[in-house]
Order: sequence, then structure tokens, then C-alpha cells
Amino acid sequence: MNLTQWLPLAQTTENFWRKMPGSTDLYIWLGVGLLLGFGILFLLSMVPSHLRRWVVVTFTFLAGLPYVLAYLWPKPIAMDVATQLPNPGEQVGFLINAAIDPVGKLTNILQGFLLGVGIFSLLRVHSMKIKRKAENYGFSMVLIVCFITMATVGFGDWTTRTFQDPQGLLNDPVNWGFFNRANDLLFEGIYQQMDAAMFSMIAFFILSAAFRAFRIRSVEATVMMASALILMLNLMGALTFVWGNAIDGLAAQTGNTFLLNFKLTEMANWLRSNMQIPAIRAIDFGVGLGALAMGLRLWLGLERGGVSA
Amino acid sequence: MNFWEKAQKVDRRVLYAILIFFVCGGLFFPATIPVDPDPSSKSFYSEIKKLNPEKVVLIQSDWTNSTRGESMGHFENLMRLLMSQNIKFVFYSAADPVAPQVARTVITRINKEREGQGLRVYKAGVDYLDLGYFPNAEATNTNMGNNLREAWKGRKARVDGREVDIFATPVLGNVKKIEDAGMMIVVTASASIDVAIQRLAKRVPIMGLVTGVVGPGVLPFYQSGQLKGVAIGLKGVYDVEYMMANGINVKPGGEGKAKVEWDGNNGAEVPPVTEGKTLARGQQYYGTLHVALVLLILAVVMGNVSMFMARRRQGEEA
Repeated sequence: MNLTQWLPLAQTTENFWRKMPGSTDLYIWLGVGLLLGFGILFLLSMVPSHLRRWVVVTFTFLAGLPYVLAYLWPKPIAMDVATQLPNPGEQVGFLINAAIDPVGKLTNILQGFLLGVGIFSLLRVHSMKIKRKAENYGFSMVLIVCFITMATVGFGDWTTRTFQDPQGLLNDPVNWGFFNRANDLLFEGIYQQMDAAMFSMIAFFILSAAFRAFRIRSVEATVMMASALILMLNLMGALTFVWGNAIDGLAAQTGNTFLLNFKLTEMANWLRSNMQIPAIRAIDFGVGLGALAMGLRLWLGLERGGVSA
Repeated sequence: MNFWEKAQKVDRRVLYAILIFFVCGGLFFPATIPVDPDPSSKSFYSEIKKLNPEKVVLIQSDWTNSTRGESMGHFENLMRLLMSQNIKFVFYSAADPVAPQVARTVITRINKEREGQGLRVYKAGVDYLDLGYFPNAEATNTNMGNNLREAWKGRKARVDGREVDIFATPVLGNVKKIEDAGMMIVVTASASIDVAIQRLAKRVPIMGLVTGVVGPGVLPFYQSGQLKGVAIGLKGVYDVEYMMANGINVKPGGEGKAKVEWDGNNGAEVPPVTEGKTLARGQQYYGTLHVALVLLILAVVMGNVSMFMARRRQGEEA
């Protein structure tokens, strides 16, 4: 059996994973895929609740399988598959590698669907709140109005730029129409500025916390504060420059080069290289092992949470 | 109630007012402050200046306006550096649907700035490509490493009013796999750089422009060599600007001491940027960073002193 017929690498025109844009085959596949999708959804809805867990577990396993195999299976070397027939092991390697793209794209598409599900859920929850006139339903009205306005204006801006402006004239604000101006006002003028303003509020909480909560009550807190102080002082170029010059001068005067270690930049780099980075690496190792264990449990259906019906 | 006890109970709005006053004040007085850039910033600048102009640079722009204080400066510096070296680039986002629009705005502004300075304007589809947003960073980066042409298949660019396949443009025409790119640079305020390093560091040199919060988390990758260079936070923005203005190991007038010294890269000279703006947003904000840090340190010191004084007084009263 020659598996290379399945490979996109082997054929530059069409293969199982890819049909040519505009071809009859593509539309047939789209139709078949759509029907198949609806059929699968219908069948899934009919699955008895005690079997649903197994459906989830099976799909999770199948979705993860290409990535695990791609990592474990020996990588095929580059070859001209049109003239050099690879051995069965290499053929499987090629097939696994070829599967990574469609599986990856499928997950991208699923994420797109998740966005749709999120929008649907948001609209449903807030519509119900308005319908029932629940507490603070005014906020829900604001949310829905803003959502619809932003979507309409954004879509209007996109369509004018994509379909009505082949020469790129709309890159110059002088040529903007209603949708372009409205989008600029809502997106750049309001949304983006609010985004930045929200994040900048952290500065206030940090200052307040520094004054009220950062207390030297133990040896550990003292060490942490001293380290933080050195790293913060190192961020101030003016101070490191003056301090560095003073240390340079002192070292030259006394001939004691050991003093150079007390430059702020040296102390900060030492702290980073010998304290901070090893600690972060250790944490990363721990997190990595935990993620691997959790990933394996999810992939093999051993994790109960998240896969129950 | 003495001064220290009163200080402990100070209204938070007073603290907020002090912060607003001093931080905003700093913005009006941009100054060129001498700085010794971090070694990771020096690596970043040195690697950028070594780039081959024939090779395209891939930019994963994952930042939005929430971190524009740091990330916008990073992105502007990157644009000025690449444009000054006539390097073609591709940008996309794998973290946030808003990110490509934010990057577009910056590119338009830098182009206008260059036009005003009589410099060459970068043209979409010819000098750079805008690939938009890819959901799911893990799958996107894996696919890019596996087969770049398949991962980006179907994306179009508009060149002279016509829609063209991105691989038929001068930007990506010679690129068949990710190894053909000169560099990948991730501008981010999140862990999306970790995802890129884990999946692509073996195939393409990667560098980062990250926020101060993300910085410590990526330093292990820099120390291990998986990241060729990284500029961190607002200081990183200013570090790069300062090197753009002064170069590395470049002695002014050929004599005396270089403004930026580095024994890495065999102590070789790395030239400054000779066209366009160099000191910009980083310079504007760096003084403010000083003020904010001094305030923060003072707040910690005042908070602790007032606590000790209050305890002492309580002890004396007891």
C-alpha cells in the first residue's frame, strides 16, 4: 500500500486534505462535509448520557494523537516523493506530518466557533435580563447597544476598505466615509483608550499596596525588599550612571577592582542570573511536569472533570 | 495621634493624587538620560543590526493598547530599525484579534513620520505583509514550523489594487519554509512568546520585545540561548532607543569612552541608526519611570517607618 497518495507534500495540486479552490470537487466536499457535520451533530444529540463521556474522551484522544505521534515518530527526511518511494516507516512519518496542518486548522476553526458560541451566550443572557427587567438591566441594554453598534460600524469599515477601495485611498483619513470615521472614533478614540486607561489603574493599586501592605516583618520579607530595591534602582538610568561613575572613580583611586562588583548594574545582573532565573527555571520545570501529567490525564480520558456528560 | 499614625491612615485618594501629579509632570520634560542597557537589550540590538536585508523578518505582534506604554514603544523601535535597514517583514497576531489593528496604526504613523523626513515609505504587499489574526497560538505556531506555506495558505495581500497570494509577493516570494526567514520577533505582553519558543526556536532565531511583567519569565530562555535577545519593559524601550542613537562600543568622534559598552559579540562595534528618529517614546516616558519608581520606593519606606514608629509609641504607652 502506498500512503503517499494521501500526502499534500507528494502532490502539489490536489490530495485528500486539500482540494483546489473553485473546483467541483471542493464544492462536493463542502456539501458532503456540511451534511456530515449536521449528521454528526444530530447523532451526538441522540447519544445516551451514559455514553457521552466516551464520545468526549474519544474525540479528545483523536485530536491529540497526531501531535503525540508527530513528536514520538521518527521524522522523515526530506525527499522527492515523486521519484523516491519512501519505506513504510517513512510513509507513516510523512502522513503524520501532513496531518498536523489540517488538525491545527481544525482547532483554529473550532476556536472561531467558540467565539460565536460566546457571542450567542452573551446576547442570550443579557436579552433575558432585559426581558425580565432584572436588577441592573440597564447595563445589559448598554452592552447590547454597544455590541451591535461596534459590530455594524466595524463591518461597514471592513467592507468599504476591502471591496470598494482597491487603490487604498482610505488609508488617508481625508477620503474616509461615515463608517470609517465612526469606526475610528469608536475603536481608536474610545475602545483603545479605555483599554489603556483600565490597565493604567494598576499603578494606583501598586502604590497603595506598596504604602500599606509591603511590610518588613520577617527576614524573608527583608531579603525580598532588598532585592526588589536593587532591581528597581537598576531601572533608573540616571542613578545607575551616577553610581557607576562613582564606583569607577573609587576603584581607580584605591586600585581595588573588587569594588566594581558594587555597581548597581552588576548587582542587578547577578541577582537576575543567579537568583531570579534559576528560581523561575525551577518553577517552569514544576509547571511543565504538572502540565505534562495533566495533559496525559486529559488526553487518555483519566481526568473526570471537564469530560463528564 | 502623631504624624506617623496619621500617615498610616492617609486616604488612598491622597496617594492617587500624588501619583497623578508627579507621573503626569514627568511626561512634559523628556530628557536624554544616560543608561547602561541590559545585556539582553544589547543582544537584541546587535542581532537586529546583523540581519540580512535579503531575508524576511516574521513579527508576531500580540500586544494591544492595554500595554501601550511599553509595547507601543517596542513596536515603534522595531519598525524604525527594520525600515532603516530596508528589511522586509510580515506581521500577524496569534493572541488577540485586536492586535493587528493596533500594529497597523503604528505602521501608518511611522510611515507618515518617514515621509515627513523624506525617507522611503514602506508599502504594503511590497515591503511588508499584514496577515491579520490567527486564533490558537499553539496550533498556529506548530503549523508554521511544520509547513509555513500550508499554515499561511489562502492569505491575500493587496498590491496595486489587485489581490495577490502572499507567497507571490516580493516579501514572501523566496520563502518556502520558516527556516528561510532571517528572524522571528515576538512583541507581546503575555506568555505567547513561550508558545513560540517552545515550537519554533529550533527552526528560526527568535527574539522578544516584552513588557516588564513578562520579562522575568522569558529570561531563562535568553540565558539558555533559545532567545537571541530580548528588550524588557519601558527600560528595554529606552535601552534600544539609546543604542539606536549611540550604537554599541562606538566612541564619539573615534576617541574616548563609548556611551554604550559591551564585551559580548567579541567587543565588536555595532553602529547607531543613521536615519530617522531614534530617541522617541522611550525617552519621553523614561523620566516618568524614574519618578514612579522613586514614589514607589518612598511609599514602601514611609509605610514601614510609620509602622515602626506607631509600634514604638504603642510600646512606650504600654
